[in-house]
Amino acid sequence: MKRRPEIAEVLIIGAGASGATAAKVLTEAGVNVVALERGPWRRPDEFSGDEIKYINRTFLWEDQLLKPRTKREHSGEEAVVTRFSPTPQTVGGGTTHWNAQFPRPTVDDLRVRSVYGEVDGMTLADWPVTYEELEPYFTKIEWEFGASGKGGINRYEGPRSADYPCPPAPLTGYGKAFYKGCDELGLNAFPFPMAMVTTPHKGRTPQVHSGFWQEYGEPTTAKSTTLTSFIPEALATGRFELRPDCYVRELTIDGRGRVDGAIYLDAEGHEIEQRAQAVILCCGGIETTRLLLLSRSDRFPDGLANSSGRVGRNAMFHEYVFAIGLFDQETQSPLRGWSGSYTGAATYEFYKTDMSRGHILGGIAAGSTLGHPINWNFPGRPAWGQAAKDADRDFFNHTMKIGVPIQDVPQESNVVDLDPTVVDAWGLPVARITARPHVNDLAQAKWTVDRCAEVLQAAGAAKVMPVYMDRFNGNCSHEMGMARMGDDPSTSVVDRWCRAHDVDNLYVFDGSVFPTSLGANPTLTLMANAWRCAEHILDEKRKG
Amino acid sequence: MDQSSEPLFFTALQWETVAAAAARIIPTDHDPGATEAGVVGFIDRYLSGIDYVYANPWGSGFLRLEGRQAEAWSQRIERQQRRYQDGLRALDELSASVFGSDFRTLGPEQQDAILVELSGRPKPEPVVLDGDVGAADLTQSTEGVVLSQPVTDEELDFFSTLVLHTRMGFYGDVAYGGNRDQVGWRTIGFPGPASLADTHGRYSTMDYMEEVDYSQRTASHQG
Repeated sequence: MKRRPEIAEVLIIGAGASGATAAKVLTEAGVNVVALERGPWRRPDEFSGDEIKYINRTFLWEDQLLKPRTKREHSGEEAVVTRFSPTPQTVGGGTTHWNAQFPRPTVDDLRVRSVYGEVDGMTLADWPVTYEELEPYFTKIEWEFGASGKGGINRYEGPRSADYPCPPAPLTGYGKAFYKGCDELGLNAFPFPMAMVTTPHKGRTPQVHSGFWQEYGEPTTAKSTTLTSFIPEALATGRFELRPDCYVRELTIDGRGRVDGAIYLDAEGHEIEQRAQAVILCCGGIETTRLLLLSRSDRFPDGLANSSGRVGRNAMFHEYVFAIGLFDQETQSPLRGWSGSYTGAATYEFYKTDMSRGHILGGIAAGSTLGHPINWNFPGRPAWGQAAKDADRDFFNHTMKIGVPIQDVPQESNVVDLDPTVVDAWGLPVARITARPHVNDLAQAKWTVDRCAEVLQAAGAAKVMPVYMDRFNGNCSHEMGMARMGDDPSTSVVDRWCRAHDVDNLYVFDGSVFPTSLGANPTLTLMANAWRCAEHILDEKRKG
Repeated sequence: MDQSSEPLFFTALQWETVAAAAARIIPTDHDPGATEAGVVGFIDRYLSGIDYVYANPWGSGFLRLEGRQAEAWSQRIERQQRRYQDGLRALDELSASVFGSDFRTLGPEQQDAILVELSGRPKPEPVVLDGDVGAADLTQSTEGVVLSQPVTDEELDFFSTLVLHTRMGFYGDVAYGGNRDQVGWRTIGFPGPASLADTHGRYSTMDYMEEVDYSQRTASHQG
């Protein structure tokens, strides 16, 4: 028999970046919130700087034998099981494994349709919210969540109402090389804004830079994760109940077509029906889509909130592309990729559209490490024998990369849906990704990687290897677009407050609401947007 | 055979064969190699079951896997065991057919010739700094994977598995039984943490970073 706990005022599904933001804002304003998190609740001291565990054995990522996904290029093909967009399903979500890059988008990022008009094969759209409307929330998140950086150096940055709460971290060798390359070429460069604390902030201790950063969990409070910030802050209100290891398999609706709760399996496999007055989906773009599509009913035969048929469409992934430089140890100072915590410098010079480049849009470019001793790599690195040992010895401290997450454009045909045959360990259909790059994505990737290669050369690299994009590998764990935010219910899934057009007590706060993918890493924007929309829920409640 | 550890999975002969192959993958020269790092012990322990998959956060032991995670890892390790059993048999068969003897008894050049044959690729050549910008040839990288994603051992053939496991045993944290006395890290100049426990806020790379005067860097800054 199903257990039916007390009805929740607000039920949040997914306790990552957006879910924890919503939980904090709502509970601090007096709302009682229950959150269901599919994964475990690990404490920071359960993390460590262990390359085998986190990189080779992907400790924070979903086990592919238990929770696979499938991917294909074209709708006519059979999709194959692929590790696509691995994002931790755990309390803290993506903010546990991320490298915490926290840049703001540009003003024009939110109005690409107005700027570029109709472009063949793209479903460009303006955001129903402007940079100016989001700006106060960018500042709130930067201060409340903890961020380091310095405003006023990035020439292309939009207006900001406050500088960062913490100064940039000291500079790494690869950061120094990045500045050198940019300076040689006359490119404006600035400290990469990071969600980390570099000075004491809100009771958290400054970063000591173990360097075990991207894809590692952080054992201290230096890296900004919702696990160590918004989650404990929400819990401190006494109005937040967070249940880990709870696998939601379906949202349920009442006779009027409003969402009335969720059915989930707890850690012991008990089926539980959690009723709620309102539900906010914060599962990340791919899993939010999957849950909506799994929630079918007579009223919503194609999935909940999907009368437009747009759920899962316009999927965007920010494929990460880069160039790698090898530096001569005889003439160049060491870059020491293991130092710092992915901290360095960035430029927006390849970001803003210049039509002479032959493509529109672009993204933030930055210098970074190639990783730790086991997994650092470059194309053609000798695999074994004396040549391999020499390469490790000569170049481990003398390589870096400069890369960019491609601002891929929305396309109707890039879709997340349910795989017709592959199921997970719980017997539920897995997410299937059908996606291929637009010609503009490929051109943007090629052009930008070539510019990154030039910066490496200008920085003194003795050999440069561009790595272009040929397909979406889902290597960036950014998931956007599948539940588009817009004013028109026929072309979007949620409205400007991220409430489903079809279901007036169902919300989506994760990156799937992004109409376009931005040229900046998405987390700051999705957290700012979640805060904005959570405040709107409070406003509506006050009005009754 | 290494005197300090009893094999948990390999037979004595398999142990010698893997040790010999690892010693060609990361050879000993003026710096230690796979032999000194104890790579074969690292691999043997990993293949023995699911007791050595994830070190605990302090490096003092291993996590106990349970439930679905334990089932998934059991399946994974069993596949690896078969891959090694079959792969080692093939290695010796190849050695016997080419040189008339088991792999472990061959000289270094002969062993390299067998590994070249097994890998299906030419022996890796030294890196040359030619000053070029050239498009990356991803097929030249043994792992053949997306470079910005980690390398797991799941989809690899036996030779690439052996190469990856040798790297892991040479460069992984000492908690896993390889990288003995951190010889792997010292060989390439990585001043890593003394232990995993040290990564809980004590181990720092700040000495290798420097403060910047940002007053010199402005939005109008060019070059």
